Amino acid sequence: MTSIHTDVQIGICGSAGDGTIAVGDILKRAMARAGYRVIAFDEYPAEIRGFGKCVARTRITTEQVYSMKPKTDVLVSLNDAHAIPHAEEVRDFGAVIYDSAPITMIDEGWHISGHLNPGQLPYGLPMREISEQATGSSRSRNIVALGFVAGLYQLPRQAFIDAIAAKFQTKAAEVTQSNVAAFNAGYDNGAEIYRFDKVEVGPPARRTRVHDSTMMTGNAAVVRGCLDAGIETFFGYPITPATSIMERLAVEMPKHGARLLQTEDEISAISATVGAGFAGARAATATSGPGFALMSEMMGLGVMAEVPAVVFVSQRGGPSTGMPTKTEQADLNIAVFGGHGDAKRIVLAPTNVEGCWRCAGRAFEMAEAYQTPVVVLLDLYLSNRYETVVFPNKNPFVRDAWKRPTQDNANEPYRRFELTADGISPRAVPGDPHGIHTATGLEHNEFGRPNDLSAMHFQMTEKRHEKLNAALKHPGITIYKRFGDTGEVDVGLLAWGSTFGETLEAMLLARAEGIRCAAMKVVMLSPLPVKPIKRFLKDCKEVIVPELNYEGQFANLVSGAVGRDVIRFNRVTGKPMAVNEILDTIRSAAGKRKLRKSAA
Amino acid sequence: MHHVIIGNGVAGSHAASVLRERDPGSQITIISAGALLFYNRYDLPDLFRGRCDWVDYLVYPPAFYEENKIKLRRKSLVTEVDTNKRTLTLAHREVVTYDQLLVATGGVAYVPERLLDSIPLMHGFNNFRVAMAMREALPDGGVVIMLGGDALGLDLARTLIETNYKVVVVAGDRTFWPHELTQETRSSYLQALEKMHLDVVDGKQVDRVEQSNGTGPARRVVFDDGSDLTGDVVLPFYGLAPSVDFMSHAGIDIERGVLVNPQLQTTRDDIWAAGDVCQIWSPEHNTYRFYYGWKNVKTMGDVAARNMTGDDVTFTTAVDEILQLKPDGTIYSPFWEYD
Repeated sequence: MTSIHTDVQIGICGSAGDGTIAVGDILKRAMARAGYRVIAFDEYPAEIRGFGKCVARTRITTEQVYSMKPKTDVLVSLNDAHAIPHAEEVRDFGAVIYDSAPITMIDEGWHISGHLNPGQLPYGLPMREISEQATGSSRSRNIVALGFVAGLYQLPRQAFIDAIAAKFQTKAAEVTQSNVAAFNAGYDNGAEIYRFDKVEVGPPARRTRVHDSTMMTGNAAVVRGCLDAGIETFFGYPITPATSIMERLAVEMPKHGARLLQTEDEISAISATVGAGFAGARAATATSGPGFALMSEMMGLGVMAEVPAVVFVSQRGGPSTGMPTKTEQADLNIAVFGGHGDAKRIVLAPTNVEGCWRCAGRAFEMAEAYQTPVVVLLDLYLSNRYETVVFPNKNPFVRDAWKRPTQDNANEPYRRFELTADGISPRAVPGDPHGIHTATGLEHNEFGRPNDLSAMHFQMTEKRHEKLNAALKHPGITIYKRFGDTGEVDVGLLAWGSTFGETLEAMLLARAEGIRCAAMKVVMLSPLPVKPIKRFLKDCKEVIVPELNYEGQFANLVSGAVGRDVIRFNRVTGKPMAVNEILDTIRSAAGKRKLRKSAA
Repeated sequence: MHHVIIGNGVAGSHAASVLRERDPGSQITIISAGALLFYNRYDLPDLFRGRCDWVDYLVYPPAFYEENKIKLRRKSLVTEVDTNKRTLTLAHREVVTYDQLLVATGGVAYVPERLLDSIPLMHGFNNFRVAMAMREALPDGGVVIMLGGDALGLDLARTLIETNYKVVVVAGDRTFWPHELTQETRSSYLQALEKMHLDVVDGKQVDRVEQSNGTGPARRVVFDDGSDLTGDVVLPFYGLAPSVDFMSHAGIDIERGVLVNPQLQTTRDDIWAAGDVCQIWSPEHNTYRFYYGWKNVKTMGDVAARNMTGDDVTFTTAVDEILQLKPDGTIYSPFWEYD
C-alpha cells in the first residue's frame, strides 16, 4: 500500500456551550492515540459566561511540522454565525460541514452554505436529528459532527471511542455510552457519504512510536519540566493564560513531596518565590504580563541579592487587561528590561512544546548556576497549543547545580558575593555551616554588607552582568539554531518564541519556491547570543524579523545589539502569525534583492 | 437587481454568464441541490475510459464564479417558492429573496410507476456520484441491462461497448426517446443497435428488478411473462421527468413542465424557465412542448437571460431532432452533441 503523506487541519467552530473545545480535544487525543503527530490550538472568548466564539483547530500529520497551517482543510460549523467568517480559511477542494436541519428558520445570509467559495465542498448533516435518534437528545450534536468527520475520512473509530471514554471517565457510564452512540451514528453517516473533496488521510507514518510520544500543551510541558527538574515550591496567583501551570502543579507537586501555595497576589507570589530561592529551594512562579508588571520590583531584588528564582510568563494581548484570551509577543521588553536599575536577568523563550519542557527544566539549573532570576517567556499560543512530543527516556536535568563554598577558608568570614573570575560566587543557603551572610536589596560588598562606594557599585554591577555570559554556553539547551540554506542567502529570518514555528514553515515553503533562505531561532533573549546572530546576519542579504507585537521589540533588541537594521514584520491581530504572510514578505524581500541586482 | 437561478446545469450556468455580461451591476445567485460546480454530464461515459476525477468534468473552474461575481449556493434544495413575497425557502430553512427568478432545475430520470419499488436495486447515471457508484458496481466485462434505452442511455451504451462491457437494451415505447419514431422505422433502428453490438430484448414488459441469488450477476430483471434476464447493473433510461415539485404552490402554470411563452417567461412577469424543466409554447405545433439536448438548453439559457435583462427574443430550436441512420448501419443522435 502506498503511504499517503498526511497533513490535514480540521477546524471546529461553535459558540461557548456547543462543546466545540471538547470535541476538538477528543479529536486531537484520538489522532495522537492513533499514532499521528498533532498540533492543536484553541481560540475561546475572554468572557467566562455567554455565547462567545470558540474555534478548535487540529493539524494532523505524519511528518514533523512546526505550526498551524494557514489554510484549514476541513471546517465543522456548530454555529453558523460564528463559523461564517472562518469559511474563507478553508482551502480550495477542502470541506465545510454544517447542520443542514437547523431548529428554527434562518434569516437570509445566515447559513454557512451561502458563504462557501466555489472551490470548497459542502457537506450538510442533520446533526440535531441524528443526535436525537442516537441518544434521545440533541445535546450530542457536536459528537455527531465529530463522528461524521471521522467516518468521512475513515479515521480509526476505536481511537475515538477510547478518547471519548477517557474524556468522560469521571462521569456516569451512561454519559460515555451516550456520547459513543452519538459518535457512532455520526461515523456511520460520514462513512456512507461520497466524498468530492480532496482531503486525504493516510495511515500514521511510524506506528511503533505511538507509545513513546505524548500529546500536551506548552503549559503542561512546563509543568513536566518543573517536576523533572525537581521543583520544591511554587507560589502563584491565577491569570490567563498561565493559570493551568499552577492548576497542574497543584495536582502533581504533592505527589512528589513538593508544595504549592496560591498567594493573595502576584507581588506576594514573587516575594515568596525569591524567599524560597534564598532558602535554597527550587522555586518558581507563573504569571502573565499584568502580573509580571507587579513583580518587577522583586525581580530587582532577586538580581541584586543574586537569588535563584524561575518565573514563567505567558504573554497575552496587552497592555493592561488587554486581550486575555488572545496571543501576543509584546512582553519581551518587560521580560528582558523590566524593573529599575541595571537588572540583567536570563530570559528564555521556547519555540515549541518540547522546548517548553526543556526551558523549564534548564531554567532551574541556570537560576541556581548563575544565581539569578530566570524568566521563561511563553505566550498564549504556545501555552495552550497541543503538540505530540517525544521525551528522552532519561531525565536530563541536573539538581543542585550551584557552586558551593569550600571549607578551605572556613576560618575566614564567608563572602557571599565574592568577586571571582567568572563572576559567580560560592553560594551558601541558610543553615549551611560557615555560611552566615547578609542578603540585601542595597548595593553591597562581597560580604553582603551595604556599600555604595563608586568602585564597589561598578564591580558588583559588572559581576552581575558578566556572570550571565556563562549561560550562553549552558549545556543541554539550544539557545539558538540555524535552519535552511547554509552560507550566503538572499533572505534570512530571525524569530523567537512561538512565531518561530510559522517562520520555519514559511522558510521551507520559500526554499521550495527556489528562494535561497535560512531561519534562525533565538531561544535565549537575555543575554542575547550576539556573536552567532551577527554571523547569521552577515550571511543574509535581507533579514526579516516576524513577531507578534507592534513595535518590533525583538527587532529593536537585535538591531541595537548588532548595529544592523532589519525588515520588521509585526502583527497584532491576537492570532498566531500567518505562514502565508511571512512567505509573502520573504518573496517580496527576495524580489527586491533581485530588482536591485538587475538594476546594478 | 437580484437574479436568482435555480439549477446549476447547462441552462442555468449559461444564463448566469449572459446575465453577468448584460447586467454587470446585478447580484446573481445560482442555487443548486448538488455539491459540485457546473460539470459536463454528457462526458460522464468517460468514467469508463478512466477519467474518474470530477474536477476533469468541470465546465468552469472555481475562479470563474469569483471573477464573474456569481454566487453559487450548493447543497441548497429549494422546497418552496412564494411568488407574492418573491422568496424561496431552502431545505435548511433559510429564506432567499429574489427580484427575478429563472427556473432551470432540469429533469430527473423517469421511472414507470410499476418499477418504483425496484428503484433501490437500480443504478442511475444522471450525476457524477451515481455514475461513479454504477461504475464501481460493474465488474470488468460485466453486463449492463438498460431498461427503456433512451438517447442518453444509448450514448452511454456506445462507450460501454467500446470498453468491453456487454449491454442489453430492454426496448419499449421510450426507446430512442426523445426521438419520435414510427413503428416501421423503429424496427430498423433496433436492428442498428444490434449492429452496434448491443443485445436487444423487445416486446416484453419489465415487471420488477430483483437481487440475484448466489454468485452470478447481482441483478435479475423479471418480465411480466415470468421470464428473466440477469446482469450486473440495471439502469432505467425511460427519458426525463421535469423537476417541478417545489413549484407546485407557486401559482404559475405547470403542465408536466413549467409552461413558458417563446420568450421563456412563465405566467408571472418576474419568473422565467429554461432547460429540460420547461414546456415552451410552439406556435408551429400549437402546443407546449419540450426541447432537449445541450444546444437547445444552452440556447434557452441565453434567451431567458436576454429577456430578463430587457431584450425580446424568442426561442427556436438549435437541434435537428431526427435520429440518423448512418451508412455503416449504426445510429447517431443529434442529442449526443454538445459544445
